Amino acid sequence: MGSPVNSVPPNGALLEVEDLQVTFAAGGREIRAVAGVNYAVEPGRTLAIIGESGSGKTVGCRAIMGLLPAGTLISGSARLRGTELIGLSDSQLRKYRGSDMAMVFQDPARSLNPTMRVGKQITEAIMTHRKVTKAEAHEQAVELLRLVRIPAAERRFFEYPHQLSGGMRQRVVIAIALACRPKLLFADEATTALDVTTQAQIMELLLELQQELGMALVFISHDLGLAASYADEVVVMYAGKIVEQAPAKRLFGAGGTVKMRYTRALLDAIPHLERPAHTELPVVSGRPPDPAALPPGCSFAPRCPSAADDCRAKEPALTEHAPGHRWACWHPCENGGAA
Amino acid sequence: MALAQQIQLQTGGSGARGSARRIAGSPALRVAGRRLLSAIPVLIGVTFLTFVVMSTLPNTTAQAILGLNASPSAVIALNHSLGLDQPFWVQYWHWLSNVLHGNFGTSIQGQSINHELASRVPTTLMLLLYALVVSVVLAIIVAALAARRPNGIADRLSLAVSVLGLSIAPYAFALVLIIVFAVKLAWFPVLSGPVTDPSSFFRNLTLPAASIGFGLFAIYTRLLRADVVEQMQREDYIVTAKAKGVAPWRVLIRHALRNSMFNLITVIGLNLGGLIGAAAIIETIFQVQGIGNDLLNGISQHDEPLVEGIVLVFALVTVFGNLLADLAYAVLDPRIRYGRSTS
Amino acid sequence: MAAPLPDVQLATPTPPPLPSLINARQLRAQRMGRALRLWVPAGILIILLAICFLLPLVTTLPSATRGNIIYNNEPPFSQGHLLGTDVQGVDIFSQLVYGGQVAFEISLAVTAIGIAIGGTLGVVAGYASGWVDALVSRILDILIAFPALVLALVIAQGLGPSEFHLILALSVFGIPAVGRIARGATLVIRGLPYITAAELAGTRRWRIIARHIVPNIVPGIVTFSLLGIGVVIILEGALDFLGYGIQAPQPSWGNMIANGQQILSAQPEYVLIPSIALLITVAALNMLGDALRERWGVQ
Repeated sequence: MGSPVNSVPPNGALLEVEDLQVTFAAGGREIRAVAGVNYAVEPGRTLAIIGESGSGKTVGCRAIMGLLPAGTLISGSARLRGTELIGLSDSQLRKYRGSDMAMVFQDPARSLNPTMRVGKQITEAIMTHRKVTKAEAHEQAVELLRLVRIPAAERRFFEYPHQLSGGMRQRVVIAIALACRPKLLFADEATTALDVTTQAQIMELLLELQQELGMALVFISHDLGLAASYADEVVVMYAGKIVEQAPAKRLFGAGGTVKMRYTRALLDAIPHLERPAHTELPVVSGRPPDPAALPPGCSFAPRCPSAADDCRAKEPALTEHAPGHRWACWHPCENGGAA
Repeated sequence: MALAQQIQLQTGGSGARGSARRIAGSPALRVAGRRLLSAIPVLIGVTFLTFVVMSTLPNTTAQAILGLNASPSAVIALNHSLGLDQPFWVQYWHWLSNVLHGNFGTSIQGQSINHELASRVPTTLMLLLYALVVSVVLAIIVAALAARRPNGIADRLSLAVSVLGLSIAPYAFALVLIIVFAVKLAWFPVLSGPVTDPSSFFRNLTLPAASIGFGLFAIYTRLLRADVVEQMQREDYIVTAKAKGVAPWRVLIRHALRNSMFNLITVIGLNLGGLIGAAAIIETIFQVQGIGNDLLNGISQHDEPLVEGIVLVFALVTVFGNLLADLAYAVLDPRIRYGRSTS
Repeated sequence: MAAPLPDVQLATPTPPPLPSLINARQLRAQRMGRALRLWVPAGILIILLAICFLLPLVTTLPSATRGNIIYNNEPPFSQGHLLGTDVQGVDIFSQLVYGGQVAFEISLAVTAIGIAIGGTLGVVAGYASGWVDALVSRILDILIAFPALVLALVIAQGLGPSEFHLILALSVFGIPAVGRIARGATLVIRGLPYITAAELAGTRRWRIIARHIVPNIVPGIVTFSLLGIGVVIILEGALDFLGYGIQAPQPSWGNMIANGQQILSAQPEYVLIPSIALLITVAALNMLGDALRERWGVQ
């Protein structure tokens, strides 16, 4: 039998998140976007948080960074190298934001200030946290541009975002995030807005940089395929909660054992070359639930092909049923084999 | 932003090489040049329209010159010698060719209009610039303070003051200012005197500029505040800036405000036309020796050449104001200045 | 593996209720604020209109054009004169009322003409595009480039002061103003895919305009026009103030202010009273326009 997840993951972790909850007020209703999430990341390791839109994956990470609008209720614990981040004031949190932990965003076209030179946007990140002269910051910025493999870095320093291609813009965003050599990097759908080739390049870049700098990388995506290729540990979220959590090898490797129907469905939805042509992709019917009006019992029950009465009656808890592998389901998959 | 959009459709310029070369060869200047050319028909249209309007109205110029007791034949004779009985398009042609030679003709008082314009235009320009600059600067400050905390105290106050500024008639406001500051407090003179040095500049032009500027301040503040708040709440690059750990004030000023200035410039350009009308009334109230005052006098005296000349100047200012705004936009917005470069 | 596990172990405890983020009180205050912002200015305008147009029908007001010089300069709340009398003994309140009639009549007429002609031109230009659009836009540009006041002055002075002439003169400004807004709004809607779809489906053009474009631009035009009424009232007041509009002894807010200007230092109230009337009216119009814009979600 498993043990309920109340205890804190082992020490040595760079980021320890415990029972994180985020609630908004919108249109007169309270929306619990994140309803109790626990995970940990160690330096040099990659965690993938996978989920549909509305699952709370982005909100949770932004809450840790302190990027949610004022008036949002955040509770729980998120410790960065032992320092508790939840509950800090914005000016306190700002010391860590951009220097110890950083974030790369989804749409490079909109994430950069269109009227500010690219280099200046990087030096701004540097000079916010370090006492250096403008010239030194300039040097460091050019170095960063080289680090993210942008050719002709000295020239590019003076260019504006619209003069760069999408892939290069994303590299600039990464350069900004890495300006102060953070120990923790969030990549929020960092490759979603890019074409597939560029996607691969950026992911490779991120992993190389992770090795070089010894960072912990948390990447957020809806693409389980990315998680399979690049992550060490995978967390699957649905309706604000974690529904499956395991090392990537356990889920995707040979004899992989995916237990959750939801994860199974996400996997099955990835197109495979081996399938015969013109096969219909199996998709999950229905839509993610409205966070303000969650059904009783398991949140996935309305869409789950193997839902039973006990699923609709009572919500399953996230439990470690197998070593390192947690899931929350009354009727998990029998075997993890492909459909 | 017609100009800006046109440029964005046509950019093919290359990347960073040297500012002067960039701008000189840039698409911005080419489209601006085209815009300049298209302004000419507008100018002609405006002045022609004035002629048409004035000619359809009963022509009492000669009568006005000679006085009420003049005999009808004298009036007709004077009309003829002044060329006022010719069809308006002929008159317009004469006037236009004179103007293109730099000669604005003589007013019915017999004065050279060129001279009149030369001595009066600077005063009006000073007044307008004074009003414009102060209202823009104040608007930026107030909008920034208001946008810092939407629906906070500063915000509500700025909104209230803006409604006031938009709703008050400039001429009524001018009189109120006179009551308070010139009569009761005697800080400023009631009537404006000549502006010869900085101190007389402030003494004589502050109340008139405030009368005009309050309305402008209201418009600009509302616009800026709305724009900045929208940027801060909607735009992704603001989130990036915050994620860098930049302090909220810096994010507001260096990122949001900076990008909101473009809309402001457009609106300033668009407003120039109405500004002139307001200036005319204000000049009359305070007896400022500018062309607004002259215009109103000219109209009442049926002084066609004078009115035409001043209207042309007004139209020029309006058109060039818009053009300047377009150009400023083109120069300041790097998306337009540098176009796209392949990479 | 499907045996349900005992409740005791796996029942997820219901999370404790979070302290409420949105105060019910705050919510009500927000809603009330929105309603107030709409109905207070609307109410003020209704009252003003009632005073100016209904009151004279119901009671007899003292003459607004003639006064007894014996009773001049009476202070407010004196016998028979609610707001007192002016230098020549004419009742001030009556002047306000009739001046208000003029202000509303002219501004509403100008706005109506503006919407009718300018709106039509704008929609046609925006929808037709091509040379029609270019031509109309050029004309609108020229009219807008004209300082409104100057043109209105020239016309008013040439034609002679009368309410009708003022309406004509001010319409030259009103038409292009609305025309531009109408054209802009039409262009936005026109670019939407469903219009193209309707055209491809063979819907006749006037039908598209009537059923799709017009209903969508109405909110924008209405809110703009409310502001426009205020602008015209001020402009018309300016014309009166300069002496080119409504002439004495007929009262108008503008010429009341002009008359008051003569004795500004001695008796500022003659300027202040009509100024305040102007202010309240235009402010109410502006606030109503803003509130409607908020409610209808117009840019």
